[in-house]
Amino acid sequence: MNLSAPTFVRNMSLVLALSAPLSCRGQAKEARIAAASDLKDAFSDLGARFEKKTGKKVSFTFGSTGLLTKQIEEGAPFDLFAAANVSYVDQVVKAGACDGGTKAPYARGRLAIWFPTKGGAPSSLADLADPRFKRIAIANPEHAPYGKAAEQALKRAGLWDAVASRIVKGENVQATLSLATGGEADVAIVAYSLVALKTEGVHVLVDAEAHDPIDQALVVCGKNPGVEVAKEFAAYVGSLEGRAVMRSYGFTLPADAATSSLP
Amino acid sequence: MILPEGAWGPLLLSFEVAAVGTLLATVVGVALGSLLATRRFFGRDLLDALVSAPMVLPPTVLGYYLLTMLGRRSAVGQAFESVTGSSIVFTEGAAVLAGALAALPFIVKSARAAIEDVDPRYAAAAATLGASPSRVFFAIVLPLASRGVLAGVAIGFARALGDFGVTLMIAGNLEGVTRTASVAIYDAVLADEQARAAGMAAVLSAVAIAALYGVNKLARRTRRV
Repeated sequence: MNLSAPTFVRNMSLVLALSAPLSCRGQAKEARIAAASDLKDAFSDLGARFEKKTGKKVSFTFGSTGLLTKQIEEGAPFDLFAAANVSYVDQVVKAGACDGGTKAPYARGRLAIWFPTKGGAPSSLADLADPRFKRIAIANPEHAPYGKAAEQALKRAGLWDAVASRIVKGENVQATLSLATGGEADVAIVAYSLVALKTEGVHVLVDAEAHDPIDQALVVCGKNPGVEVAKEFAAYVGSLEGRAVMRSYGFTLPADAATSSLP
Repeated sequence: MILPEGAWGPLLLSFEVAAVGTLLATVVGVALGSLLATRRFFGRDLLDALVSAPMVLPPTVLGYYLLTMLGRRSAVGQAFESVTGSSIVFTEGAAVLAGALAALPFIVKSARAAIEDVDPRYAAAAATLGASPSRVFFAIVLPLASRGVLAGVAIGFARALGDFGVTLMIAGNLEGVTRTASVAIYDAVLADEQARAAGMAAVLSAVAIAALYGVNKLARRTRRV
């Protein structure tokens, strides 16, 4: 091939010209939402309903609350942050990345033990002391609130020393569940919201008093055009319909927290 | 081709990010390669080592440096943010930068070797006939070295397409913005969505193998000339 200077320049400008329109995507009617991974099923469901209802788009990035917090502090352009623990919301507000006036509690989470088959399933946390559970998956307690709660529950029940060497850590609570569904771990301690509607395997709720409450809160962030849609979505999560959906995934909602009734 | 839902978006984004990143790396890489091939200067070997470092450095180390240099708390990051209103990190630009950095060493190495292989008498002859240095470079040296440069660009593109660690650290994981196929595969595996992971993995593998196959063909034809 004989590539002369003008041809080279022309080819290169063609590549540039072709790539330019790809970069300019519309982002007006869309909200970017960073959500704790215990919300993966519930928020995907809510998002689809919201889009159908309003014609506005929401896109989700699910991850561990601690890692999402880091990203938001570093300037990740999210319009809404739905954390698995309210303390992380306070942290992003303090960092100046999110609007403290929009902070709102939206759910209280519960822990559940998930096991792939009916036979041999543990019936309580205490059963996990049994060495036949060779690998017990929990989310990384350093940055995942459900992992922290799982560690706390095991410690308070005096089980930690018995299980510590058998613990494997997932990057977030969804990845933790995948460790067990994929067979890499024998059992997982995860968010009840990820297994409540799961037909596969069995789950056992962990006593709510076994750990500090997992109070989840959301907050609107940044100044991008997406914040208007983000506010609408936040309102939808708190609407009658939104609450019903959240409840169906096993969340306890702020106003019914006092009665603490489970579905 | 039929892929599971949600697989094409990240793939297209990957191709876009890798194309722009490789383009950037080509401009910088050919310039650096030519400099290293034709000039002797103090620190030349050190420069070569620095440019090649992304090939062997752990992605986390590279990502850490970039976050430190360009992040919100860095001078560069703050200056950029005060001018444009958005940070550098966690944007499509950051993903492009990660891809460019991954591609750069391959392009510099190939360009340097290809330019070193060009017989200096051609350039000298052109110069005695009155061609300016830039004309000599673009009309004589670059065309003669073009196969080697193209081989480097092809490998660079394949490498940029596959960048994961640095992309995740400085560009994050934003749907449609920085969630490239390699990041989306990681997500899909974590979420136990096997079909989606397999679909994207297949496309990325096919492209990588096609690029390497093409490079071999280029190399063989060069030898015959």
